[in-house]
Amino acid sequence: MLQAVERPNIYCEMLGPDQFGIIEKPLTLVEQIYNQVWLRKITILVVLAVAWEIYGRWLDNPLLVPPFSDAMRALITDVANGAIPQRALSSIQVLLVGFASGTVLAGLLTVFAISSRIGTDFLDTMTAMFNPLPAIALLPLALIWFGLGAGSLVFVLIHSVMWAVSLNMLAGFRGVSTTARMVGRNYNLTGLRFVARILIPAAFPSILAGLKIGWAFAWRTLIAAELVFGVSSGQGGLGWYIFESKNQLNIPEVFAGLLTIILIGLAVENVVFRFIETRTVQRWGMQT
Amino acid sequence: MASGATLASKSTLPGMGGAKAASPEAAIRGRAVTDTDPGRHLLDVRGVTIQYKTQHHLITATYRVSFNVLQGDRFVVVGPSGCGKSTLLKAVGGYLAPTEGEIRLKGELVTKPGPDRIMVFQEFDQLLPWKTVFENVAFPLKTTGTLQGKAADERAMHYIEKVNLTDFAHSYPHTLSGGMKQRVAIARGMAMEPDILLMDEPFAALDALTRTRMQDELLGLWDEIRFTVLFVTHSIPEAIKLGSRILLLSPHPGQVKAEINSVPRGQENSDEAAALGREIHEMLFADQIEEAPNASGG
Repeated sequence: MLQAVERPNIYCEMLGPDQFGIIEKPLTLVEQIYNQVWLRKITILVVLAVAWEIYGRWLDNPLLVPPFSDAMRALITDVANGAIPQRALSSIQVLLVGFASGTVLAGLLTVFAISSRIGTDFLDTMTAMFNPLPAIALLPLALIWFGLGAGSLVFVLIHSVMWAVSLNMLAGFRGVSTTARMVGRNYNLTGLRFVARILIPAAFPSILAGLKIGWAFAWRTLIAAELVFGVSSGQGGLGWYIFESKNQLNIPEVFAGLLTIILIGLAVENVVFRFIETRTVQRWGMQT
Repeated sequence: MASGATLASKSTLPGMGGAKAASPEAAIRGRAVTDTDPGRHLLDVRGVTIQYKTQHHLITATYRVSFNVLQGDRFVVVGPSGCGKSTLLKAVGGYLAPTEGEIRLKGELVTKPGPDRIMVFQEFDQLLPWKTVFENVAFPLKTTGTLQGKAADERAMHYIEKVNLTDFAHSYPHTLSGGMKQRVAIARGMAMEPDILLMDEPFAALDALTRTRMQDELLGLWDEIRFTVLFVTHSIPEAIKLGSRILLLSPHPGQVKAEINSVPRGQENSDEAAALGREIHEMLFADQIEEAPNASGG
């Protein structure tokens, strides 16, 4: 049997702000330390280094795997005597030229691609053809065309960077919301101004991802090219340093060369790209 | 180009509002009638048919829609989903070309988007995420060359104050709530002082409480600035509350069912408003049953 029960209106008194217990409590020191991303990452690196050291000593064959400490010693020595910085600088110079030209060309190609249908088809076809083609496979041809020198390296670098970056840029531009586009057109933005002020910032997460991939591709291609035709780039870069050291059976130096490449990669990823990310896509809330 | 004209026209506003009230009370039923004095019209939509193609169909969104918006009007287009009201607004914005008929703003044919008709969208992503609230509001002023430097900054700040967002002027949009984002969008539109503000269901994605508050705020802003707004909604109460004049569109394709006056300001809860609401509801949904299967899209 349902019975209608008359219920009164209920009004409650609220507590003042001083009557609460804990509203905000600081984290413990351990929690605070664990929250530091860089600290967690460094821990991972330390664990890996220790594992390497133990394995190297247990194996006791420096020609196969020298312990981490030997590799570090070789690294420090060659950094101190200027051998590695010089090689790294020579590699980075070529790398930056190739990466920058590749990115600029990718940008031009993508702008052409979004502004006309034939441009889209062109970019689609070109990336389908050339993206899977390893840049290093073009090196023999490049050496014939541009001779033994930085020119050939820049050519293969452009090839390795351009397609990956333009694919990402195009995907980013295509993903820009209709509303954002309409907003831009509402303010009479057309052509390059539209691209610069609406499309590029709106597609920036994709563009940044493309740049990262392009950067990694460029490194790989460059080191591979130097390992094959290293002496061609004047005094030789890091790849050539590794190759030379191996020929002289200076295995710790080989590892030092590899470590340098890794360290530069980490620095670029965690300093340069991280900096760009925090200043742009993270601040804009486009990436969490 | 547009800025000078806009400023000049603003000053004539209150007078024009009076002229509108004097127009004959005759509720115009059926196809809207062309006014005899087109010089007074701010926006002139004449016999506009809009068709667009999808992959498989040619869709007629609106069919021979005509109406006039006067200076200072709060002109609301209301209709069920799929009546082409958003499409119509996009055509006024210049994003779509009508297949038939013409749209004139101050006697000039609308052919492309322009800063004399600023659009406020329903979507929250209309704010550019890489700009702060302040930069978002100042952006169109600077980029269209309406104002430069300090003048633009001051105008932007002025309208940010108007929508009560001074404290958030230097926040990025992703840190704001939906209602605040829409306020920024409205401030950005009004800072341009366009001839007409086009609003495409700007409050539809908000919760009911925020929505009511935003409606009140918009009316408050209108009392202060007397801008002209063309507002699209599918909510009849919203149309009655916000509109000074209401255009009813039938669904699929959108045709003018009626163009009527709303109740006076502040009487949206009166019996008169309720009667008007019922009348509009009956007109819009008289043929609901046969139209229901088609009522998709916006």
